[in-house]
Amino acid sequence: MNGKVHALAKRIIVQERVEGISREEREWLGEHLRECASCAKLAQETDEALRSLRGMAIPLPRGLAAQTQFRVRLRAQELRETEPRRRLLWLTCAMSWALGVASAPYVWKAFEWLGQITGAPKIVWQIGFGLWWTIPALVAAAIMLLENAKQTAESDWTPQGK
Amino acid sequence: MLRIVPSGSALTLQFSSLMADDRKALAQGLRRRDPELLDRLIEQYQYRLFRYLVYLTASRDRAEDFFQETWIRVLERGHQYDGKSKFEAWLFAIARHLVIDWQRQKKVQSLDQLTDPEQGAPLQLAAENEPSPLKMVLSHEEEAGVHASLERIPAIYREVLVLRFQEELQIEEMATLLDTPVSTVKSRLYRGLEAVRQAMQGGAA
Repeated sequence: MNGKVHALAKRIIVQERVEGISREEREWLGEHLRECASCAKLAQETDEALRSLRGMAIPLPRGLAAQTQFRVRLRAQELRETEPRRRLLWLTCAMSWALGVASAPYVWKAFEWLGQITGAPKIVWQIGFGLWWTIPALVAAAIMLLENAKQTAESDWTPQGK
Repeated sequence: MLRIVPSGSALTLQFSSLMADDRKALAQGLRRRDPELLDRLIEQYQYRLFRYLVYLTASRDRAEDFFQETWIRVLERGHQYDGKSKFEAWLFAIARHLVIDWQRQKKVQSLDQLTDPEQGAPLQLAAENEPSPLKMVLSHEEEAGVHASLERIPAIYREVLVLRFQEELQIEEMATLLDTPVSTVKSRLYRGLEAVRQAMQGGAA
């Protein structure tokens, strides 16, 4: 028997445990293991390793579930408290955007009229119109970013033993 | 309730549809942030999640921290669970991402890169002050040998071993969870199994 046969047997031994093998492969392997003591030993060792792995118990820390349930309930309460505010902010943004779009032609005319009566150059009242449009959005975005930063800081944590 | 019918395929069909219904109900409950449901899930999955985290981090203390943080994430991001995949796979994916994020905060690139022995030194997640973290996890003397063997295996292999042989996830499910091709998962399993066999033989010798 050459080394290639043993290498093939070794691969099939692991494959059988990981993903299964075909009937032909099982028959071939069975025959090979009957003849080859070293491969049979390898198969036995693999089974023992798997058995030990499956049988290994990891004791649960006392009260872990209860502590976690408590923390989760606290966080749920926090979320319940902050969510209406967040929803209100989104609603305000949406309404502001819709009103902004709907009133844009009128506001444009108002800025044009203001420009005419004050004699301001066209570019000035156009910039004014642009600011009227962008400033509320920028303020809303800043509030959102601040809220997010605050939330991230609140949920930041450091594992023990660090 | 599951009704047993003689035909095997019909039974499978009914069972899978029940599972699908259960998952759908679970997804709805998570979307509502149902506290009773979360309490039940924490109880139900405590051992499996903790075991996975111990295998992944090789530290009982860190596993405890990540355990709690995982459930906080489940609460916050419950709406992202679609009910189509297994809940435990989604749960483990959250836990895994938390561990990876923590690793990244410690100025490293990714768990995979660090843990894949082919790309460099295997990940040692043990804290500097902990003499032998995995040993602390096991209380029984007869298990200490198994434990010592596992310590010698890179985390990337421990992770696939626990998912396949303790969680009994399918390879495709593992690939989704690990965000890795099926071929890579298989390759890690092959090498992991070989590594654990060699480590246990080394320990026994």
